[in-house]
This record gives sequence, structure tokens and C-alpha cells, in this order.
Amino acid sequence: MAGCGALSPRGVAAESNAEVQARSAALELAGAFSNDGFKIRDGRWPTSIAVKQPRFIQVNLYAGNQYWFIAAASDEAKRVEVTVFNENGEPVATEPHQSGVRAAAGFSPQLSGPYYVRIEELEGNPASVCLLYSYK
Amino acid sequence: MLLRLIVVTFSMAAAVSAVGLAPLTAQELASAAKVDAVTIPSPGELMAALNKEAKPNWQTQYRPPIPTTFPSRIQIALNVGSLIADGYIAVEAEDSQQVKNIGKDIIALAKSLAVSESVIARGSSIVDFAEKNEWNSLKEEMEATQNEVKLALLEQNDSELVSLVSLGGWIRGVSVVSGWIAGNYTPGSAKLLRQPAVVALMRAKINELPEKMQADPLIKSIARQLADIEKLVSFSSDTVPTQDDVKKLRELSIALVQEISKKNEQK
Repeated sequence: MAGCGALSPRGVAAESNAEVQARSAALELAGAFSNDGFKIRDGRWPTSIAVKQPRFIQVNLYAGNQYWFIAAASDEAKRVEVTVFNENGEPVATEPHQSGVRAAAGFSPQLSGPYYVRIEELEGNPASVCLLYSYK
Repeated sequence: MLLRLIVVTFSMAAAVSAVGLAPLTAQELASAAKVDAVTIPSPGELMAALNKEAKPNWQTQYRPPIPTTFPSRIQIALNVGSLIADGYIAVEAEDSQQVKNIGKDIIALAKSLAVSESVIARGSSIVDFAEKNEWNSLKEEMEATQNEVKLALLEQNDSELVSLVSLGGWIRGVSVVSGWIAGNYTPGSAKLLRQPAVVALMRAKINELPEKMQADPLIKSIARQLADIEKLVSFSSDTVPTQDDVKKLRELSIALVQEISKKNEQK
């Protein structure tokens, strides 16, 4: 179901090793931010990624909150990046965090509304990637 | 483990300029995924944002207990979502007893969906965290409980009900926050209510429901009322809703929450 990308029903095909790897890495990075008071959203977006084939997802944010958008890829990838765009598709200033197959973008919107998060593989082979976010 | 030693300080002073990045194309915008679990914000996020604008007395936003049985799975799904939002309110109020009360109601209602033991176990976790006043953990636990219910619905081939769980939570969250802002108006608080894409997504999901479900009187009523609510939360970025706008949103959203939780055996 399109609306439930992150919920994998038990009894349906299990996650692949690559998906598990990506999810675990994303959660581990998110855990580091939670030391600073960020609450991790339980939902996440597992997808696939390749160089020159970025993925985009819409998120809806509230002014004044602080967010971290966190992505991690499986080992087939070498380097990924996360960037954020406003509702008109214009890039917004973020605080980047990048370490190989893990990346994050910190953002504090001044305006509530829809935004777009881009996950881009800068180097490597096609891979699984998992995006989640945390807020405070 | 090295990651655990990273001290992350979020500072806008460290923000990297977006100069040099090309804007997204219309095609890229249109290709963006809209995933229930990520695209629809949790009630906790809206409340967190309001907490920065003001110091709401969250206890004033409690409502009397709602039924924990309903004749229709549609209503059960909607009310599980709205009870999750009630859980967030109790957590914001740091009211351990209210959290436990809400937790029990969530589980009682979820049981009527024939959910798995993992959902029931969440109820115990909620009680444990509440007794230990672990408020941050509770915020995560509330959403985790909601997602367990959604997973149970998927397993029962009731995927259409998943979006109704989100809808129930979202509308209850909006009713609470608009309710507080209406009585304690500031322009900054009012601007928080801007969420055009969320309502558009909810309306799209209702339009995707099976025909039989769309014919349900409650779903038809929700579809009508969401159209009115959408107008009130879809103001432009340079508009500030007036206090009257916020009061209208409060009235509409409260009415919808009440209709959702009204037990009508004939439905």
C-alpha cells in the first residue's frame, strides 16, 4: 500500500539483508541525535537508490520545531546525502551531517507547511536506503 | 558506539547555505513519495511546536472518556487515532494517571480490532513509562502503539483503515491545538496551523477508499467537513489567520471529533 511504505506486515516477505542494514544504520544515527533531546518518529521510509537517481519524499513540518532527517544506505552505496527543499522546491539552509553511507540534515523551519527531503547517492552501487526523522 | 559519543548541537549558526543547489523541478516535486508513516506528522509534533510559542495548560484540553466499543471498524480505527492524540496531550500535561487511563482505553479499543499481543504489550509499556514519568519515551511509545495497530490492520487485509487511524489522530490534535490558540490567540501560534498538504493527503486517501466504504455516512460526513477544514489550514505563507479563523477551525474540528466518537448502534 502506497501510504504505508514503512510498515512491513508480519507474515509478508521479510526485509532483505540490505534493508535491515540500512534501517539499523539509520536508527543508530538517529539514536545519536536523541541524546540531544530529539524524539525519533516511529515511521520510516525504506526505498532503493542509485547514483543519479535521487528519491524525494514530502514531509509536513511545524514552525519552531527542530528536525533531523536521517538516511542510511546498505553497503553497496559509498556516500549518500540528504537535502531539504521548501514547498516551492527551493533549497533551504540545513545543518549537514555526512559519514559515508549515513547522512542527515538538520532543519528548523520558520514556516509551517510541506517540505521535500531528497536522498541522493553520490557514489557507489544501487543500494537500499532508509529515511526517518526526529524532532524536538 | 562511536556515534553515541557524538555530541550534536543543533545550531542554525552552523547551517549550510543552500546557495548552489538547484531547485527541484516540477517533475521531481510530483514524484515525491507521500508515506503515511512519515508524511503525516504526529500529534506530538504539533504540540511540541505550540509549546515553543506558549505554555499551554494541556489539562484544559482533556475530553470526557469516549466509548471503547463501536459497531464499525471505521469508527474504531478513527478513534484509536484520536485516543493516541489524547495520549500525547496527557504526556504533555505530564499527568501520569491520565496517561495510564488513556493507555488502557487505547488497548481496549484496539482489542476490538483483534490486534496482536504486541499491541497489548504496548499498553503495559505505556503504564510502565507513565509510572516512571518517562515523558520522552512515552511520546515515542504513543506513536509506536499507533503503528502496531496499523500493522495489525495490514495483516488483517484492512489496509484502508490505516489512513483512518492517522486521520483520527490528526483531527484530534488540530482540535486541541486550535482550541487552545482560539482562547489564547497570538499570530505566531495561529501560523502554526498551516498544513495544506496534510489535509490534501487525507482527502486523497478518503477518495481512494473502496466505494462501499466511501458510501458510509460517517466517511461522507468526514469528506465534507475536511473540505471546509482544508480552507482554514491552507492559507498562504504570508497570511496570518485571524482569531475568528482559528475559532472556526476549532469549531469544525471539535465537531468532527465528536461525530467520530459518537456511538450510533445503527451505523
